[in-house]
Amino acid sequence: MSEYDVINSRAARLDAPDKVTGRAVFVDDMSMPGMLYGAMLQSPVAHAKILNVDISEALKLPGVKSVVTAKEAGLINYGVSPARYDETLFCSDRVRYVGDEIAAVAAVDLETAMEAVSLIKVTYEELPILLTVEEAMAEGAPQLHDKYPGNICAEVHQEFGDVATAFKECDIIKTTTFTNKRQDAAFIEPQGVLANYDLSGHLTLYSSTQVPHYVQRIVSMVLGLPMGKVRVVKPYVGGGFGIKAATNPMELAACLLSMKTRKPVKMNYSREQVFLFSRARHQFVHKMTTGVKKDGTIVALEHECYLDGGAYSSFGIATVYYAGSLLGGPYKLQNMKYDGYRAYTNKPACGAHRGHGGVAARACWEQQLDMIAEELNMDPLDFRLMNMMETGDVSCNDLSMSSFGMRECIEAIKEGSDWKSKKGKLPKGKGIGMACGFFVSGAGYPIYRSDTPHSTMVIKLTEDGGSAILYSGSAEIGQGSDTAFAMIAAETIGIPLENVRIESGDTDFGVDLGAYSSRQTLMTGHATKEAAEDVKQQVLDVLSKELNVAVEEMDIKQGRIIFKNETPDYSVLKTAYIKEHRGWTDQPEGAYLTFNEAARIAFLVKGPIVGTGKYSPPILGGRFKGAAVGTSPAYGCSAMIAEVSVDMDTGHVTVDKVTDAHDCGKAINRTSVEAQMQGSISMGLGEALFEEVKFDDKGHIINSDLAEYKIPTILDMPPVDAIVVETNEPNGPFGAKEVGEGGIMPVIPAILNAVYDAIGERIYELPMSSERIYMALNKKNKK
Amino acid sequence: MLLPKFKFHEPKTEQEACQILTEYGDKARPIAGGTDLVVNMKKKLMSPEHVVSLSRIASLKGLQKENGFVKIGACFTVADMIEAKDIRENVNALSAGAAALGSPLVRNLATIGGNLGSARPAADLPPPLMAYGATLILKSGKGKRNIAIDDFFKSPGTTECRPDEFIAEIQVLTPPAGAGAGYINLGARKAQDCNIVNVASFICLNKSGVIDTARVILGCVGPVHLRAPAAEKILMGEKPDKVLFRQAADAAKTDCLPITDFRGTGEYKRAMVGVLTQRTLEIALDEAKKNN
Repeated sequence: MSEYDVINSRAARLDAPDKVTGRAVFVDDMSMPGMLYGAMLQSPVAHAKILNVDISEALKLPGVKSVVTAKEAGLINYGVSPARYDETLFCSDRVRYVGDEIAAVAAVDLETAMEAVSLIKVTYEELPILLTVEEAMAEGAPQLHDKYPGNICAEVHQEFGDVATAFKECDIIKTTTFTNKRQDAAFIEPQGVLANYDLSGHLTLYSSTQVPHYVQRIVSMVLGLPMGKVRVVKPYVGGGFGIKAATNPMELAACLLSMKTRKPVKMNYSREQVFLFSRARHQFVHKMTTGVKKDGTIVALEHECYLDGGAYSSFGIATVYYAGSLLGGPYKLQNMKYDGYRAYTNKPACGAHRGHGGVAARACWEQQLDMIAEELNMDPLDFRLMNMMETGDVSCNDLSMSSFGMRECIEAIKEGSDWKSKKGKLPKGKGIGMACGFFVSGAGYPIYRSDTPHSTMVIKLTEDGGSAILYSGSAEIGQGSDTAFAMIAAETIGIPLENVRIESGDTDFGVDLGAYSSRQTLMTGHATKEAAEDVKQQVLDVLSKELNVAVEEMDIKQGRIIFKNETPDYSVLKTAYIKEHRGWTDQPEGAYLTFNEAARIAFLVKGPIVGTGKYSPPILGGRFKGAAVGTSPAYGCSAMIAEVSVDMDTGHVTVDKVTDAHDCGKAINRTSVEAQMQGSISMGLGEALFEEVKFDDKGHIINSDLAEYKIPTILDMPPVDAIVVETNEPNGPFGAKEVGEGGIMPVIPAILNAVYDAIGERIYELPMSSERIYMALNKKNKK
Repeated sequence: MLLPKFKFHEPKTEQEACQILTEYGDKARPIAGGTDLVVNMKKKLMSPEHVVSLSRIASLKGLQKENGFVKIGACFTVADMIEAKDIRENVNALSAGAAALGSPLVRNLATIGGNLGSARPAADLPPPLMAYGATLILKSGKGKRNIAIDDFFKSPGTTECRPDEFIAEIQVLTPPAGAGAGYINLGARKAQDCNIVNVASFICLNKSGVIDTARVILGCVGPVHLRAPAAEKILMGEKPDKVLFRQAADAAKTDCLPITDFRGTGEYKRAMVGVLTQRTLEIALDEAKKNN
């Protein structure tokens, strides 16, 4: 039995009925009278000087209402991190990847807009192209950005402790290199927008985004509008995974076209354009050297990493920092050195993608730790346990584990998978492997330096007292955040979930940094709790005066007012309510005072009952350069065991079973927590076994569709035992913290370690396609 | 991506379809489920001015077992093929091919005729149909003609079918006692995949247990699906066992011309031809023994 009435349950998602019946409105479902359709001209070449852009023929086409290029848009730099604003809405003198935006058209229909795009004549002078980190960092390589010599977008050099000295004390020093492949997040809903610049000069942008607030900022900055005149609204969104966590050029182009034409303008990315815009997981090359004592103590890690960034920065600075900082845990490690480099190449920009920066690094290291455990002749699970951080520990790079149920996670998967009877005892072709991981529960600092609260919440009680409505700028993108906040509000006020409604994803409702870095449950959750407490206090304050009972002697539970000591005579209030509601059908029954009645009385006394809440994290982390990246008020952690079969003739890997445990603090909605774990496993499994964005030698993506870019189907998903481990996170609302991204951390290395257990060969390159496994087996047989 | 403009025809009879195709010739393209054609039209790889739907012609949707043949209408859907008892009980490797194709959503639309007419070298239905030695019935205003499936495919996307013709029916001779067939496709994932290699094998044992007919079909390793003559030669006249199948599998690797592309290297595909040949022959043998 839970001590809670609403949270910690398996409440049905508020959006479920709309979504399963097809009534949920996504941006592509929207239309407006007089709406125009937009289309974009994107570069067909990977690197070229633009000598001339001729839009005259496009403008002549009947039905075309506006054609905009850099000339109309201006050249205001934008991007994600203000330290690297290296993009403009349209390219003016140079294109840097196939897909770079050159112009946009608004016309009466999409066919006309697309035809107009084909009539724009661009004269290019092609330049040599850089498709790999090696090419980009080679001496004398052509420079993609004048401001960033050597094509180095960002580099990081950090050392905690003294790695060189520490290595001298080590008995085993192991070095491995590892690489993943560029990913696509393959969310189900391609980005889309509807921009409406109204006749009073206010711009409303409906967009499939994770971050209405950041989009509002960038739109107003690039288009030169006051922020108060820009409203960004997020309808239902079909997934984002980090790719929709920043402004895209289509959002800006549609706004500009709407301003030019004074008409609503709708635009969508095709699936191919989703791939062209990219901003998903980088390809990383990791070289790691770990030093361990013969008793199994992990002493030092030296880590070098190269990221193939693509043509622009996007989130890349944060990515290259995260790739290093997220190895500060979950093991007690005193000495860590990190050198990271992100290079510009002539490919679409990479960015943040579930498990930002840490996924390939985690895979590399967890595989290496397994190799070390084997050399030590230790059970890899025991080896990890003996080095594991505990609640209260602070990592060498100042990440503070205010709650850390990793030991419980490991014990849970050990038992759940029957590890002891399987590890080392399975026949050839069958394998079992495990790995651990952890992740931030919200970035400790916003993307731009600011004292703005990371989240605000407004809760208004309806005048009849029957409902609480939440107004929030937060972003429900399919993960269930709306339901979580409604549950937190219901629990806090003391009313049933069915009496709570939420309006979210609208910058008019307040500031919320949005759905990224697994932040909303903790941060927006805090703001929600504070606003709900405010509302509750206001209602109880009125009751206190009306009934002459101290506020402390009352409470609200399950929609009823609780009097802790003597029950006062509240018949006057009940009579007043009945009088107000004469003829209505919802007269409260029962021998108690309901919240409805109390809230109605409070309205009559005070007017609108509106509660507000906000959340800013405490000052976190160390003072070294880059210390902010990786800080968080809390860290979720997880451990996973994968069991696999490998077809020893074809190399085909099947994941047969997964036992996964995640410490999410207090689970607000248990079903949603498990769903995030399942989703993480599916995404990690795809990256481990199938997924890779592939290019030809001219920089064109050759598998920019979901037929040839292979995400797992439901048939590829193993049965998953998702074990929710609960701790009480002191910095989380009701003790809650993240599950959205941390869940992916152990997935790839657990599969890597299981495949090794099955075939006796280590794989250092993803994806573990049948062919790669076959070649490894072949090489082994030839030895 | 938008479809190019085209005129859409929906004939209700075979005769009407013949007239339309005769009139527009190579400006027309028949469509059934559209799971291949529509994708290619969206990608602008094909832009026929006239698209002629065969989906409303009832006579193209039948399935009959008569005179020792399983006769399947060209518009019979792949989903229905999996369910059809006549197919499962008589030509089970064709059921396996149907089950391997796409996803349930694709199979609900895709048809047997479309899977042959689109002539993709990685398609799932040609290998089992070639293994069974199927015959295609093509119809046009000039009448009908029968063509052995081995002679049907010309190159990726092109077939023996003339612009004024359409595939009306596929006829598969019910295999005799002692016959068996197997089909396996290898892709990256378990469904909705473009195959890396696919193989079908058919053998028929005579009364003394000797293989008197053998057909091995290799997919994805040539411009069209290939017979594997060297493998078949090794099998013919021999008693089946693992060693023989291993020799046939090795021979099959020399019967193909795999290219290296983004789905895999030629080296891997060639190796997989061997693995799948061996495995499909084992399935075929199991079935042949049961059918004796």
